[in-house]
Amino acid sequence: MSLLTVNAVTSGYGDMEILHGVSIEVGAGKIVTVIGPNGAGKSTLMKTIFGLLTPTAGQITFAEEEITGLSPDLVVRRGMAYVPQVENIFPSLTVHENLEMGAFILTDDFSRQLEEIYELFPILKDRRKQRVGKMSGGERQMVAMGRALMLDPKLLMLDEPSAALAPNLAAMIFERIVAINASGVAILIVEQNAKESLKLSDRGYVLASGRNRFEDTGENLLANQDVGQLYLGG
Amino acid sequence: MDILSRIPQLLVYGVISGSILSLGGIGVSLTYSILGFSNFAYGDMMALGAYIALGLFSLFVSWSIPNTPLGPLSFGFGLILAAIFAIGLTAVAVVLIDRILFKRLRHYSSVILMMSSIGVALALRNILQFFWGPQPHYYIERIQIATVIPGLGIRIKPDQVFIILVTIVLVVLVHAFLKYTKMGKAMRATADNNSLARVTGINTNRVIVWTWVIGGALAATAGILAGIENKFITPELGWQMLLSIFAAVVLGGIGNPYGAIVGGMVIGITEEVSTAFIPTGYKPAVAFIIMILMLLVKPTGLLGKRR
Repeated sequence: MSLLTVNAVTSGYGDMEILHGVSIEVGAGKIVTVIGPNGAGKSTLMKTIFGLLTPTAGQITFAEEEITGLSPDLVVRRGMAYVPQVENIFPSLTVHENLEMGAFILTDDFSRQLEEIYELFPILKDRRKQRVGKMSGGERQMVAMGRALMLDPKLLMLDEPSAALAPNLAAMIFERIVAINASGVAILIVEQNAKESLKLSDRGYVLASGRNRFEDTGENLLANQDVGQLYLGG
Repeated sequence: MDILSRIPQLLVYGVISGSILSLGGIGVSLTYSILGFSNFAYGDMMALGAYIALGLFSLFVSWSIPNTPLGPLSFGFGLILAAIFAIGLTAVAVVLIDRILFKRLRHYSSVILMMSSIGVALALRNILQFFWGPQPHYYIERIQIATVIPGLGIRIKPDQVFIILVTIVLVVLVHAFLKYTKMGKAMRATADNNSLARVTGINTNRVIVWTWVIGGALAATAGILAGIENKFITPELGWQMLLSIFAAVVLGGIGNPYGAIVGGMVIGITEEVSTAFIPTGYKPAVAFIIMILMLLVKPTGLLGKRR
């Protein structure tokens, strides 16, 4: 069953069109990775799905309802969460406050989600009173993912979750992504350097210059020689 | 009397004017951090609050609501009641100005918003002048005798102690709001990163309304306190203080309400102490020089923006 369907979406900034009719699909509970070179339109795709950019053509359907052009604060209520690549935390707030903001739209108790997130990232529990602005890149990424998980989303979108992280930290983040997915959350990842990500993915897409180039299972994309040479650094 | 012996007294005056500047500074800083523009109408929002209080106070007097002085203060229940209503009404008026004007301009650059705030400033000042005229108005015409604090030789009026106490209470309340309430945290989050706030599901529109409510309430309080301290109000009341308030905000670190408190106190005290050495008329120049020096040395201000 398809959870998210992006159908021939055209989008960009102002007059500058970046996506020229991109289509992807994320099944419920699956991990999907979108790879492609710098400027392929990967971040633009995520921003458009989440309503930060308005598509000029095409449809976006989530959980069997059309969400094309819906504003971010409404998209979040439908059960989608998004972690941008940069500036994905509130630096002057503490870890705990960042997570609390993740639950902003809830009126009832959210201590269960909080416990689950502290279980997933134990280091955050020890640092819950620290200001996130003073923390390391890896810790910030954990806070950003934790914030996005506070609403028990059906789909978690991660924009380059391992960018600028040391290899061991990146591996740890990917391991956590698998754990999150195991709890039933579908995951859409955008990566520039994507071997790790494709290994865990049920499905992968290659974008280039704002168009779909390849589409296959993660495994097959990794094995595909053209994809390897052109987009995975040989 | 030699210059140095006057300094303790000037420090006290500095704390009093610093209190009023701090309240104004917090308001300017909050609107800047959430809405991203310098609000030139802030001074006139202060005057608006002071005049609404004046209007309500005359009304209350005509309804024979008692205003017998409370203890050593020069005013009584009548003015306090008028002030409380004026603070609420100013907050409502400021939210309306946002709905009518700033909201429509929000998607343009911050320069457009700043220019439009100058328009609001002129409009408000002229409306006040239209109804009340340019001449000074008095809340209370009675003259209050300053008390001498034994041992220190410092003179202070009970009304001035009241101003300092009100400021302390409001600073504590604003701090508690920002630190402990859900809306306060959402305001800090929105100030940190507006687009992430929207992605997180924070209703940034409601955050903006709250920002204006608090900004408007603080403006009215600062305006009324300035009226109590100066003994009279004119439509220029806030405009004349705006430069010092901006200097306080820049000094403390623009967008940081705690910086505005520090900045307000430093500017207030420096302006008053400077009168021991140079003529009183140069007070705004002192604020201006401090602001320029701060911008040259550390543009992010004393407390900077936490990033």
